[in-house]
Amino acid sequence: MASLLFYILGFIMLTATLLCITRRNPVHAVIYLVVGFFALALMFYLLGAPLVAAWEVIVYAGAIMVLFLFIIMMLGLAPQELPEGPNWHRWGPLVLLSSSLMACTLLLIFQDPAATEIIGTYYLAPQELGEALFGRYALAVEVVSFQLLFASIGAYMLGRSLPKEDDES
Amino acid sequence: MMIPFGHALAFAAALFILGLTCVLARRQIIMILIGVEIMLNAASLVFIAASAYWQQADGQVFVILLMAITAAEVAVALAMVVYLWRRKKTMIADQFNGMRG
Amino acid sequence: MSQTLLFLIPLLPLSCAVINMLFGMRLPRLIPETLAICGVLGAFLLTILFWGYAEGEGTRAVLGTWLSSGSVDVSFALCFDKLSAPMTLMVTGVATLIHFYAIGYMRDEVDYARFFSLLNLFVFAMLAIILADNLLILFLGWEGVGLCSYGLIGFWYRKRENAKAGTKAFLVTRVGDVFLGIALLWLFALTGTLSITEINAQAEMISPGIVTVLTLLLLVGACGKSAQLPLMTWLADAMAGPTPVSALIHAATMVTAGVYLLCRLFPLVSLSVFGMAAIAGVGAITALYAATCALAQREIKRVLAYSTMSQVGYMFMAVGAGTVSGAMFHLLTHAFFKAVLFMAAGWVIHLAGEENDIFRMGGLAKNGPKELFWIFLAAAVCLAGVPLTGGFFSKDGILLALFTEGTLLYKGYWLIGVFTALLTAFYTFRLVYLVFAGEPRGEGQPHAVPALMRWPLWPLAVLGLAGGLLNLPAMVGGGESLHQWYGKLAGRQVTASHDLEWLLIALATGIVAVGWLLAHLRYRSYREPLDNSVSRFLLAGWQADAVVDRLLVRPFAAMGRFCSAGCDRTLFDGTLEGLVKLSGRWSGLLLQLTTGRLTTYLSAFAWGFLIMLGWFLLKLVNGGGH
Repeated sequence: MASLLFYILGFIMLTATLLCITRRNPVHAVIYLVVGFFALALMFYLLGAPLVAAWEVIVYAGAIMVLFLFIIMMLGLAPQELPEGPNWHRWGPLVLLSSSLMACTLLLIFQDPAATEIIGTYYLAPQELGEALFGRYALAVEVVSFQLLFASIGAYMLGRSLPKEDDES
Repeated sequence: MMIPFGHALAFAAALFILGLTCVLARRQIIMILIGVEIMLNAASLVFIAASAYWQQADGQVFVILLMAITAAEVAVALAMVVYLWRRKKTMIADQFNGMRG
Repeated sequence: MSQTLLFLIPLLPLSCAVINMLFGMRLPRLIPETLAICGVLGAFLLTILFWGYAEGEGTRAVLGTWLSSGSVDVSFALCFDKLSAPMTLMVTGVATLIHFYAIGYMRDEVDYARFFSLLNLFVFAMLAIILADNLLILFLGWEGVGLCSYGLIGFWYRKRENAKAGTKAFLVTRVGDVFLGIALLWLFALTGTLSITEINAQAEMISPGIVTVLTLLLLVGACGKSAQLPLMTWLADAMAGPTPVSALIHAATMVTAGVYLLCRLFPLVSLSVFGMAAIAGVGAITALYAATCALAQREIKRVLAYSTMSQVGYMFMAVGAGTVSGAMFHLLTHAFFKAVLFMAAGWVIHLAGEENDIFRMGGLAKNGPKELFWIFLAAAVCLAGVPLTGGFFSKDGILLALFTEGTLLYKGYWLIGVFTALLTAFYTFRLVYLVFAGEPRGEGQPHAVPALMRWPLWPLAVLGLAGGLLNLPAMVGGGESLHQWYGKLAGRQVTASHDLEWLLIALATGIVAVGWLLAHLRYRSYREPLDNSVSRFLLAGWQADAVVDRLLVRPFAAMGRFCSAGCDRTLFDGTLEGLVKLSGRWSGLLLQLTTGRLTTYLSAFAWGFLIMLGWFLLKLVNGGGH
């Protein structure tokens, strides 16, 4: 039952992503992507990662995607007729490229004997994850937190109003 | 969970290639960033699947770190999008060809 | 430990030179002058103070290691022994007096700091040559001397010909330096050491053929510095420098460096019979050549320059005849009287109102100061070799050594030496007559001469006259003290029967008398100079400059033009420009790939990714799984 659910979720996820990447309107694309992320979060849950699944919904679907939406709307992209969308002259070679990449990857995955082995039942309690995160990986957490700090400073610097002389074109 | 490890990887690969296609095909910077997000999520799926396969917590820890890094990346990237929009009033990546040789 | 204090001798002038170089222009005039004097005077006093160290085998002092790499081990070492000590004393002593003179001479010069620092630096470099314990330090001093003489000859560089004379001296001596450098490196390759003592000790183990070649190389090197044939053309032009410089560099010290080098390496040099003959031969030919040139010169300093060349030729002959003590004896006496002659010439030029031409002087015996006349005459009789003066004894010793060498070749050299002595007497007295006899012929107004330009001449003149006492031959009751002092380093003991010696002395006296008589008859009353082809030929120094110009300079310039126009501009530049254009075109092609578009780059990246994946796949298929 859980296995079947996994495949269904995977299908939903791929379909939603496919729709996302082919939308002309970025707002629609983001909405589809959120759907895909919900499916992905459930897949995480099925693979024994409840906490990560929750964060996927909260951080990705909730925060990051909303940030995207916010920027799109702030810049006023949505109402405009966008100058691009899928056109086959452009997408043709890319589909070819993607399908050959996909074929190569699948061949590489399935030539390995481990690929056919069954993933056993696994459940990682949030407590254990927290212990691992703040125990063995405490240093990594610190580093990442620094990166967040720098990123916020960088975003602040970039987001300031432009000086006059930079405003060329 | 009675699915083979390879299937989980195959889903991740499909997701990754969809993201890559998005990055390559779309010309709007916002869409390119969305493609990057998709690829990052494909990587997360591989981590989670591997974590379950080997019954280890490390993969999940990495996904959490990955999310934090993605958050940082998105913050800077979107700030740059705003910056570029102010400069050129366009979102088409090909318009920014100042590095042309 | 106190041996290390020996380093003060060269380092004192060096430090004074450095201080003068750095701060000289900002200090009041008196301080650089005092410093310059202190540098050399201090070195002179220290040499006297440390005289005891030269006794016996001499003293070797080491300050530290300079270079150490593999088997090369060169230290800052100096060797204060019986050969170097008298030379040091002479150089510092004469240099001190010349420095005093220079202060008087340069009293109106604006650029005094440069002058005095170069002068001190020169003394330092000369002392480095003299005191060097290894050949590398000697070479360092050798080059330093060349550099300083370049700077000093071209001191008034605003006049183009002075700068050219400096350059000429630098370049011509550099030719010799190259040969010296080759000899040093070869010696190092053969013996594995650069220490002079060790090289001399190992000299006998080198095969005779190589020793001959080495000797010839050293000879060419010595010729460059000592202005011997064929590298002599620079010395006459070097008179463009200030007179104290002429006195210091071109009379007393630098030109004798070549002689000193050969004496230093005498144990090596003396092993080659052919090399010795070549040394004596070069000396003999140069002596004759320079003496004939001096006969026709019109400028007082050029006469002296050619006479210097000629006298250094005598020293070479002495080395070639195997008597180091004879060479050094003549070197010392020559340094005394030639320095006097140059400084007196500077005085004369002042009195004649900056007039160089001896045919427009005259009458100085009557009109000039008596002091000058007597000093000049004293030095002149030394140069001419009038009996009982220092020059007479030293020159006579050399002629005796040549005569007693035995072989016919050396008899020939002796004949040249005797003939040159005749010429020397003639041109010396010609100079004296033209400058001092008769009535003034020039229009120049005499300048006042400061006291500092007068008194340093006295001690030197006395030394020149009494120089014979240094090495009085046994026959007249002397003990050959210089020869005894040198001990092992003295070279061949010249032995001859007293009858022969008396004969030679009588001959030398007769020759001087004949030379004087000829000059007296010709120049007692003033006559216009001859102007025929022979005198023009001699005036131009046998057209040596023209010969060099024809043989070397013009082919070199032609080759340079060919290289510049033929090779450099067409071949190299053409090739390079072609390459530039070609790569420009290619890069234009590559340039089209860099569109500046993000999507282009990304898809290129993805295609590369595909290729990589495909390659992995192929490898797995071929490798059959893992």
